[in-house]
Amino acid sequence: MKKPLIGELSLLSKIVLLILPFICAFFALGIGRMNISPAEVLNALHSSFNSDITVNPLTYATIYNVRLPRIILALLVGLGLSLSGLAFQSLFANPLATPDTLGVASGASFGAALGILLGFNLIGIEIAAFFFGAVAVFLTYLSSSGKNRSTTSLVLGGIMIGSLFSALVSLVKYTADTDSQLPEITYWLMGSLQQTGFDSLKIGAPLIIIGAVVLYALRWRLNILPLSDDEAKSSGVNIRTLRLITIICATMMTGACIAMCGQVGWVGLLIPHICRMRFGNNHLSLVPASASLGASFMVIVDTIARSLLAAEIPISILTAIIGAPFFIILMRKSGGWQL
Amino acid sequence: MKLEIKDASFGYRKDKLIFKNVNLSVTDGDVLAILGPNGAGKTTLLKCLMGLLPWRQGASYLNGVDIRTISAKNLWQQIAYVPQAKGVSSAFSVEEMVLLGRGSHLNFFSKPQAKDFELVDELLERLHITKLKGKHCNQLSGGELQMVLIARALASNAQILILDEPESNLDFKNQLIVLDTISALAAQGMICLFNTHYPAHALQRSNKAFILSKGGEYQFGPTRSLITEENIAKAFGVKAVIGQVETPGQMFTDVIPLSVLTDPLNYTDTPDKEALAVISIINGDFAQAENINNLLHCYSEYLIGRMGMPYKEDNVYIINITLKAPKERIEELVHALSLLPKVNVKATYATLT
Repeated sequence: MKKPLIGELSLLSKIVLLILPFICAFFALGIGRMNISPAEVLNALHSSFNSDITVNPLTYATIYNVRLPRIILALLVGLGLSLSGLAFQSLFANPLATPDTLGVASGASFGAALGILLGFNLIGIEIAAFFFGAVAVFLTYLSSSGKNRSTTSLVLGGIMIGSLFSALVSLVKYTADTDSQLPEITYWLMGSLQQTGFDSLKIGAPLIIIGAVVLYALRWRLNILPLSDDEAKSSGVNIRTLRLITIICATMMTGACIAMCGQVGWVGLLIPHICRMRFGNNHLSLVPASASLGASFMVIVDTIARSLLAAEIPISILTAIIGAPFFIILMRKSGGWQL
Repeated sequence: MKLEIKDASFGYRKDKLIFKNVNLSVTDGDVLAILGPNGAGKTTLLKCLMGLLPWRQGASYLNGVDIRTISAKNLWQQIAYVPQAKGVSSAFSVEEMVLLGRGSHLNFFSKPQAKDFELVDELLERLHITKLKGKHCNQLSGGELQMVLIARALASNAQILILDEPESNLDFKNQLIVLDTISALAAQGMICLFNTHYPAHALQRSNKAFILSKGGEYQFGPTRSLITEENIAKAFGVKAVIGQVETPGQMFTDVIPLSVLTDPLNYTDTPDKEALAVISIINGDFAQAENINNLLHCYSEYLIGRMGMPYKEDNVYIINITLKAPKERIEELVHALSLLPKVNVKATYATLT
C-alpha cells in the first residue's frame, strides 16, 4: 500500500470519511414518524432504477418526496457550514472566527428576512442573504483591522456587527405583516429543514457545491492563509486572490445555507474544531474531513430534530445541545489546538 | 545574481521619511549585514528591498530589473525571506512548514508531490535538523524554529536569502548554529542578507555592511572599514572597543560595549596613521588560493613584499606579505581573508616612529 504523503489522510480515514455521510443518510431515510426498515428503504431506492420492483406507494412517497430532499439538504448544509467555518478560521488565523462569530450569519439572516419581507422568490432571497453576509464580513474586517489588530478585536467586531444585523432583523420583523410574514420569518430564523422540496434545493445546492469544489481544489493553498501577510506573500502565492476566492466561497456557502434553512448555529465552529483536534491543521486533510463530518453531523441532528418529539424541534437548539458537550469533552481531552 | 537598491526613500507617511536616497548592492557570495539599533527601521528596509512595502522614490533591482515588474512567482523563486520567528504561526508540523516554501513552484490548484517531499528531506539533512522530523512546530525551541524557517525559505531554491534578525532571542549555541548556517550557505554561492543589532556578528560573518542610525542616516561598504568604533558610537550611541581575541589557530574580532554616550554625534576617533604590517596566511585548502590571489591583487598598490611556500607534509600553503597602507585598509584585507574557509590569518604591525 502506498504510504500517504504528509498531511494527507490515511487510506482508512479516507474510506471511512467517504462512506460515513452516506451511511448516516441511509439510516436517516428509514427513521421518522413512519419507520421504514432498511430493507424497504433499499427496495424503494432500487425501484426507481428497476420497474420490476414494487413498493408501497406511501413508503415511496415518504422517501422520495419528504425525506430524501430534506436529507440531501442536511448533507449540503452541514458540509457548507463546516467548510465555511473552516475557511473563516484559517482566513483570519483565528480559532473563534466562524460564520456566527463574524456576523456573517446575522448579515445573511437580515438579507434573507428582508427578502421575505419584500416578497422575493427563493433566488432573490439567496442573493440578498449572500450580499448582506458579504457586507457583514467586510464590516467586521474593517472594524477590527485598525491599529491593535488581534484575535479578540476581530471577535469583538464580529459580535458588534452581528448585533447590528440582529437589530435590523428585528426591525424587519417589526414591520412585517403579523399574519403571514412574521411567522414565516420567525420560524425560518430558528432554523428548520422542513420546507424543502427539490425546487429549493436546485437553487441553493449548486452554490454550496461550487464553493466546496473550489475550496477542495485549493486545499493545499489554504495552508498559507493563517501565515502572516509577509510570510504569505514571500511564499510566492498570490495571497490577495487566494483570500478573495476563499472569502467569496465561504460567504456564498453560508448565504446559501441560511437562505434555504435559516440560521443553524455552531456547526461552523464545532466541526472544524473537532477535525483540527483529530487531524491537525493541514488543509489537505481538514477540507475533506470537515466536509464529511459536517454533512454526517447535520443529517444525524436533523433526524433527531424531526423524530424525537411529536413536534419538530428547531435545529439550532439541537446543534447547540448536542454539539457543546461533545466539543467540551474533546477540548479537555486534547488540550485544544492553535492556529 | 545582483540585488540593488538605487536612490530609494521610504516613510510610512509622505512627509516623514525614515530613510532617504538609499543605495546598496550585493552579488554572488556576498553576506550583507544590516546593522542598527532597535527601532532604526532595519525590518522596514528589508521589506522595502523585497517589495513588501512600496518605496516612495527609487526602486530595488534584481539583475538590473525593477522588482516591481517581476511577477510574484518569479521573484519569490529567486528571493527567499525568513521572517522573525516570534510572530510565526506554529500550527503545522515541521515538514508541512517547510513544504509551504514550495508555494512559488506549484500551480494554484496543485498540491505537493513526492519530489517535493524528497526535497524537504534533503533540506532537513543539509541544515542538520533531520531529528526535528515529525515534530510539531509548537514543540520546537526558538533556535529549532529558526532553522525550520530557514529550511522553508530554502525550499523555494532561491539564490538570495533574506533573514530578519535570525539570531536575536537565541542562546549562544543556537546563535552560532544559525550564523554558521548563513556562512555555509554563502560559501555555496548564495547571497545572504541579515538584520542584526550585534556589531560583532556583522564583523564575524559579513563582508559588506549597512549601518542604519536612528535618524535615518546610513553607511554602506566593506564590513571591516565600516564597523569602526566611531561608527558604532554614531549609530548605537555606545562607546565600544573593537578588539581581537587570538587562539592558536585564528584571530577573532569582537566588539565590546563600554559605556553609553551622551553626545554620540560629536564623537570623534583618533585618525588612523599609515602602518607597516606583515600579514601571515596559512591556507589549508588549495581551492582558496585563487580567492586569496584575487584579494591580494586588490591591494597591490600597497604591497611591498610577498613570499609563498607550500608545506607538503601537512598539506598547507604559507604566504607572507608585507604592506604599507592606512591601518584600516590593512584591517580590511585581514578581515576579508579571515572570512575564507580553512584560511588562518594574522597581521603583525611595526611600530613606526
